[in-house]
Amino acid sequence: MEEQAAQLTQAIDSIISGAGTLLPEFLLAGFFLLLVTLDLFKSKTIKRLLPWLALTGLFSALILQVIGPPASEGVQFLNLLRSDGLARYASILFSVAGISTILLSLQNRKIEKRRQGEGRGEYYALLLMLVLGLNLMAKSVNLLMVFLAIEVVSIASYILTLTLKEEKRAVEAGLKYVLYGTLSAGVMLYGMSFFYGLTGSLDYTLVSFWQSLLDANTLMVTLAAILVFAGFFFKISAAPFHFWAPDVYQGAPMPVVALFSTGPKMAGIIVILRFVAAFGDPSIAASFGDIQLFLGVAALATLAVGNLTALWQRTPRRLMAFSSVSHAGFLLMGLMAFGTNYTSSILFYMTVLLFMNFGLFLFLQMAEEEWQVKKLEDFQGLGKQAPFAGIMALLYLLSLTGLPPLAGFMGKLLVFSSVWEAYTLSGQPLLLVLLVGGILLTGVALFYYIKIPYYLFLKRNQTEENLVISLSNKLLLVFFGLPLLVLFFKPDLLLHWIEKLLA
Amino acid sequence: MNLILSGLIFTPLLAALVVLLMPTRLQKPMKVTALLGTLVQMALSVLLYLRFDGSAPANGHTGYQFVEKLDWISFSLGSLGRFQIEYFVGVDGVSISMVLLTGIVGVIGVISSWTINKNVKGYFLLYLLLVTSVMGCFLALDFFLFYLFFEFMLLPMYFLIGIWGGPKREYAAIKFFIYTLVGSLLILIVMIGLYTSVIDPQATAWQMNLIGQGIPADANVIRQVQQMLQQGVISNADIVRTFSIPAMMEPANFIPGSLLHVLSGVSLFDLPIRFVAFLLVFAGFLIKVPSVPVHTWLPDAHVEAPTPISVLLAAVLLKVGGYGLIRIVYPVFPDAGAYFATLVGGLGVLSIIYGALCALAMNDLKKLIAYSSVSHMGFVLLGLASLTAEGVNGAIYMMFSHGIISAMLFLVVGVIYDRAHDRMILNFRGLAKRMPAYTAFVVIAFFASLGLPGFSGFIAELLVLLGSFGAPEATGMLPRWLAIVAVFGILLAAAYYLWALQRMFFGKYWIFPELREKASISDLDRREYLMLVPLAILALLFGIFPHLLLDKVSIAVSGFTELVLLNGQEQLNMVLSTIIP
Repeated sequence: MEEQAAQLTQAIDSIISGAGTLLPEFLLAGFFLLLVTLDLFKSKTIKRLLPWLALTGLFSALILQVIGPPASEGVQFLNLLRSDGLARYASILFSVAGISTILLSLQNRKIEKRRQGEGRGEYYALLLMLVLGLNLMAKSVNLLMVFLAIEVVSIASYILTLTLKEEKRAVEAGLKYVLYGTLSAGVMLYGMSFFYGLTGSLDYTLVSFWQSLLDANTLMVTLAAILVFAGFFFKISAAPFHFWAPDVYQGAPMPVVALFSTGPKMAGIIVILRFVAAFGDPSIAASFGDIQLFLGVAALATLAVGNLTALWQRTPRRLMAFSSVSHAGFLLMGLMAFGTNYTSSILFYMTVLLFMNFGLFLFLQMAEEEWQVKKLEDFQGLGKQAPFAGIMALLYLLSLTGLPPLAGFMGKLLVFSSVWEAYTLSGQPLLLVLLVGGILLTGVALFYYIKIPYYLFLKRNQTEENLVISLSNKLLLVFFGLPLLVLFFKPDLLLHWIEKLLA
Repeated sequence: MNLILSGLIFTPLLAALVVLLMPTRLQKPMKVTALLGTLVQMALSVLLYLRFDGSAPANGHTGYQFVEKLDWISFSLGSLGRFQIEYFVGVDGVSISMVLLTGIVGVIGVISSWTINKNVKGYFLLYLLLVTSVMGCFLALDFFLFYLFFEFMLLPMYFLIGIWGGPKREYAAIKFFIYTLVGSLLILIVMIGLYTSVIDPQATAWQMNLIGQGIPADANVIRQVQQMLQQGVISNADIVRTFSIPAMMEPANFIPGSLLHVLSGVSLFDLPIRFVAFLLVFAGFLIKVPSVPVHTWLPDAHVEAPTPISVLLAAVLLKVGGYGLIRIVYPVFPDAGAYFATLVGGLGVLSIIYGALCALAMNDLKKLIAYSSVSHMGFVLLGLASLTAEGVNGAIYMMFSHGIISAMLFLVVGVIYDRAHDRMILNFRGLAKRMPAYTAFVVIAFFASLGLPGFSGFIAELLVLLGSFGAPEATGMLPRWLAIVAVFGILLAAAYYLWALQRMFFGKYWIFPELREKASISDLDRREYLMLVPLAILALLFGIFPHLLLDKVSIAVSGFTELVLLNGQEQLNMVLSTIIP
């Protein structure tokens, strides 16, 4: 009895001592509750305040993360979470993604119109919840915690997809997403239970966890690993678990799509990265080859499927869905460069991806709402009528393709360099195949990305009248575009910081 | 520090900024601004040409003049040392001719663009960006910087063809973009491989505290660093990887154990990995040259592009391909250059003959000239592959001379197209009667291009053929029959030019009835004289006084051939020794 009491006290103490590093998460949870509560009031003033409150919450979380508590290497909450530099940088990205989503939502007429009617607060509250889930995903070092965090993200995602529930497309997307999502969650949990049965532990960053896996039946481990990774791949929309992406991208509100194309994808990659990083320990490093083969094939398949399928898409939303699949492939490829400083390359790539995706989705949102663009052909001649927006769209698209002088090129260069470096170190032919395949698929990527500028600038419209863009939209376009130029010409500014956080 | 090179690169960019800030309706001032920008650039390039010391020793990795070197991007790779990108520009005998050419053609292009009246602002903005990036390409000595400019040429070109081009412009623009992007991606692979393999001995010496920060290392320190590197005694954290092209030319700067080190012993598809890398980067530049079989984008791009853009494309953009081979591919992979000489020369001869045969079959005058470009660029490959001083001098001379002459050729096509809105050879006859001055310039341009003695094209072809004939004895590079076959290319050139001349310009005046209503056949106007006369004078000048160019070029070329031949043979033996047991 006494012993138990002592253990309990110890556990509580460790929870309390770790709580400090989780301040941003507590803050987000607090704001989430605040928003839900305030949403109950009917007052118009309060309703109008909701998005700004959510913004405040995310912004204060961001500030806490940037200046925040010095990253502690230790684990918190009874070995469930780890607040290291990796998690901290990822959380910063998630907060920026959340802020950007809200900024996009404020420009979105349909979402704003809903705010006049019923259920206004839920949208912004759910965004906070999603970001909270993402933060937890990046911090989890325990399979159960990973599962819980992913579910928090998923549940928020399902509802957010359905924000505009009076639209048929949205309902279809929402339903598909829930069905696929719950299935993949179940599969993942099943795989995790195998892992637990085989190792008796849920902490996958422990060397002992992997050692007992290596000792176990190979078939069982492979099966379990495939099941678990199916769940992860679903979240990052990697092939062959990407089928939900085009439908969801087609049906969800644009800001939510922008968030899906960045936040959960990054968090999923961080989770896999923690899996991969466990092999840094020399005693199990030798067996990395198998998981490398598995991830490498997945990366190549994702790159190929994403890039080649994107070629046949007729609507900008579906095009971007497959583009985001291909970027998942690039991120997975970055993970292959294990043994080099691949982490900073991946984090850099993610940062760039965040800005270019949000920028382009903002442009697509403008195009859809103001100029009724539904298909790629509808972009015809708009570049001449709205030159500023057209040029900014061109900038984002070129960055997505990976052409200089934009940060997308730097991101790709860093990822490719780490892969080359890893190939030099290991001589693994798969890496060379990935490298060459990845680079050549960039050429394919140009072919579909250039379709939008092609219609914008090369095709002409009957009318030539100038289209007006609101100042806030213009500012936002610049806000997302500027980092792409800065990070090309001075990537070391960010890389130094990332290296410092990771050290 | 001498800032003339930065001035050369950024003057058009500055003009572009001014154009950007002008209100859209000020069309004339925009044109004047563009003209001023390129005129200043031309003045600077002429000044540079005059001040460039052609007698200074140069051996490939040294001997650059007017060098500017600034830190640009530098960051730590953790345990893998550092990586640095520099703003590193300089000029040597190889690039000086291209710089001069770009300066001249840049101005001609603006004059030729004077009649553009569709979206003038966008046009001149893109035009100036294009000129900036071409000039940057020729001056960059850091591979990253080079690649940046190289890739940045694509985008303005895509829009210039795609918006201001002819009826099939969209197809031509996308084809151009995809082809050249694939080429540059191939180059990217090798660039990544090179920079992860090569150190900057200077910066590594600083990192190791062998000498104080910022103090330039002398040759001894450099040699010490290189020796330590090869012995493997420099710790990883001290290694500074670099994109510097001159550093990549020295085998001693390659990190032992890196894939592209001569002794790496790694092979792919039964070829040493250095050879594979050579083939990749060679293919990348080959698309730009362009050579058969990757030339098909060129006729399309030329036919659809507006006249000034065709001029710029033929006169300077294509030269980036040949220049890249001389600046990067051969000096960095001399072993593979020596090994694949017959392949390179063979592709050159294939381009010469196939391009000429295609030109013979064309009914569209512009397409004919586009294929003649393919044929002439084959001489560049052939001269380069011979690795003799004459051959390489000839290759550079060919690039310069073709730049001048092809600009003239595309301008004369533009003249007839402006008047008749058509350029099919069979739709015209006896133009000499109605347009005598025009016909005179066409004759000059055609004869200069087919290599009539007295014009620069003759010197170029002569040097290339001399070089490739002598190659079997001098360097042991090419089989003699290649040079013999190449001579037929000159004959074919005479055939297609003279035939076109005869069909279009001689005989009784006649034009196709449907064209008569819209056509107003008048002789050259003042603006056209302004473009054609200087080019004709230059073609003659460099045809009669070849030493004007060769004096500046030849020392650097000898340095280049010595580097490639000596290092090449030595490295080839090393590479092969590690592969074949």
